[in-house]
Amino acid sequence: MRKFLDYIIETVIFICGMLSIIFVVLIFSFLLKEGLSFFKDFSFIKFITNQFWYPNSKVPSFGILPLICGSVLVTLGACLIAVPIGVMSALFISEIAPKGVRDILKSLVELMAAIPSVVIGFVGMVTIVPLVKNIFNLPTGLSAFSGSIMLGFMAVPTIVTISEDAIRSVPWQYKEGALALGATNWQTLRRIVLKAAMPGIIAAIMLGIGRVIGETMAVMMITGNAAHVPHSIFDPVRTMTSTIATEMGETVRGGMHYKSLFAIGLVLFLITFIVNFIADLFLGKNKNL
Amino acid sequence: MVDKIQIKNLSCYYNKKCVLDSLTINVVKNEILSVIGPANSGKTTFLRTLNRMSDLEVSFKRTGDVFLNEENIFYMNMEFLRKRVSMLFAMPIPLPMSIYNNIIYAPKRLGLVNKKPDMDILVEQSLKDASLWNDVKDRLHTSAMKMSGGQQQRLCIARILAINPEVILFDEPCSGLDPISTAKVEESMLELKRKYTILLVTNNVKQASRVSDRTAFFLMGKLIEVDKTEKLFISPKEKQTEDYITGRFG
Repeated sequence: MRKFLDYIIETVIFICGMLSIIFVVLIFSFLLKEGLSFFKDFSFIKFITNQFWYPNSKVPSFGILPLICGSVLVTLGACLIAVPIGVMSALFISEIAPKGVRDILKSLVELMAAIPSVVIGFVGMVTIVPLVKNIFNLPTGLSAFSGSIMLGFMAVPTIVTISEDAIRSVPWQYKEGALALGATNWQTLRRIVLKAAMPGIIAAIMLGIGRVIGETMAVMMITGNAAHVPHSIFDPVRTMTSTIATEMGETVRGGMHYKSLFAIGLVLFLITFIVNFIADLFLGKNKNL
Repeated sequence: MVDKIQIKNLSCYYNKKCVLDSLTINVVKNEILSVIGPANSGKTTFLRTLNRMSDLEVSFKRTGDVFLNEENIFYMNMEFLRKRVSMLFAMPIPLPMSIYNNIIYAPKRLGLVNKKPDMDILVEQSLKDASLWNDVKDRLHTSAMKMSGGQQQRLCIARILAINPEVILFDEPCSGLDPISTAKVEESMLELKRKYTILLVTNNVKQASRVSDRTAFFLMGKLIEVDKTEKLFISPKEKQTEDYITGRFG
C-alpha cells in the first residue's frame, strides 16, 4: 500500500514537471509556426532593418527597426537607473543597515514589487510625464526617458530582493578573513562580498532586465507609442511588446498583420534568449575562478 | 625578554555575560604562547580581542587595556592594528579568488606593494615561507578553493606572512587537519617564531606541549595558571590545571 502511494505521488510530480515543459514547447512551437509563416511572404532582413511600420496602409510595410530601437532604448535606460540603485540598496540592506531598519526596508521593497504595472503606468503618466516635459522643455513628456524611469522603478525590487539574498549568503568567514588581514570595511565589501555574490547579483539583474523587456502596460501608457526610429532618449518610442498588445485586437486572424505580430513575438523571444545566454556565459566564467 | 603584548585587567562580555574575567598576562617577543582550556573558557574571545575582531560584534563589551609595544590597541586604527596583529582561523578560509590574488589581496589594499615584479617576488617569498611554493608554483592563477584543506591552511599562513605582521594569532589552526598537515603547520610555526610573536589557542593539549614556550591555562573565563611549558606540564601549581592536562576533566 505504501509503495503504491509512493508510486502515485511520484507520477503526479512527474506529470506536473512534464506539463511545464510541454507548455513551454507548445507556446514556442505555436509562436514559431505563426511567425515563420510570415517570413515566407516577407524577408527577415527587411523585417528587422526597415524603418517603417505601416501594417495597415495600402502597401503595407513591416519594418520593426523602430520597435526594436524603442525596446532597447527603454530597457537600457531602465537598466542604467535600476542596476546601480538596486545593487547599492541590496548592499545597504544586507550589510550596513541596522537590524530594525533592514527588516522594514526589505518588506517595503517586496511590497513595491507587488504594485501592478497598470498602477505604475498610471502614476507615471500623471507625475513623471509632466515633470519630464517641464524640466527638459519638451513638446511631450511621453518619451523613452519617462518610460526608462518608471521601468527602472519596476525592476528595482526584483534586483534588490534577489541580490540581497545573494549578498547575505556570502559566508561570514570570507568577510572575517579579509578584515583580519587589515582590509577596511568598504574594501571587504567591494572586493570580497560583492565578488562572491556576483553570480547571484548577475542573475538578479537578468531577471530585472527580463521584467523590463517583457513589460507592456506601463510602457504603453508612458512612452508615447510613436513607431519611428528615435533620435534621442527624449523622443517618444514604441516598444515591441506594446505593439503586440495594442494591435492584436485590430487584426484579422491569419492575415499578414496578424502573422507579423507573431513574428515580433519571435524576435522578442530571440532577444531574451540572447540576454539569458550571455548571462549564463558570465556565470560560467565566474564559477571557474 | 621584551614584552610584546601586555594585557592589563581585561574583561570581556557578550550580552552582559562575562566571558573573560580581569585577565592580566603578558606575551614575550618571539615566543609561542599557547592557550589551552575547555570549551567556554574564553580562549577564543581572548584571541579575537587582541586584534579587535570581537569589536565587530554588536553585543560585545570590554573593559581593561591591551598594549602592543606599549601602545594601547584600543586607541589604534583597527585596520592598521590587524595588519600588525594578524589572525589565522580554525577553518581555512581562502578568499574566493586565485591563489596569487589571495596572497596579494591584503598587501595591495594596504599599499605595501604596487608594482607587478614586486608582487611576484612577494608571492613567491610568502609561499616559500609557508612551505607551499613547490605544491602550487605551477597553478598560481587557479582558484584557491580547489586546494586541499592542509594546503588552504598553509595558503592562509602565506597570506598573513605577505603583510609582514608583528604578532600572529593562531585560533585552533589544526582542528580540521590530518596529522601530516598538522605536523607541517606546527613546523612552520617553530620556523616563524624567529621573526614573529605567536599566540596559539588550541584544544589539543599535546600540540601545546610540542610547540609552545609558555602555556596558559584558562577555565571559565579566568586565567588559572601560566608558566613555562615544561614546568606547567610536568609540575603544575594548580590542581585544576593538572586535572585538565592529564585528562581528568574537560
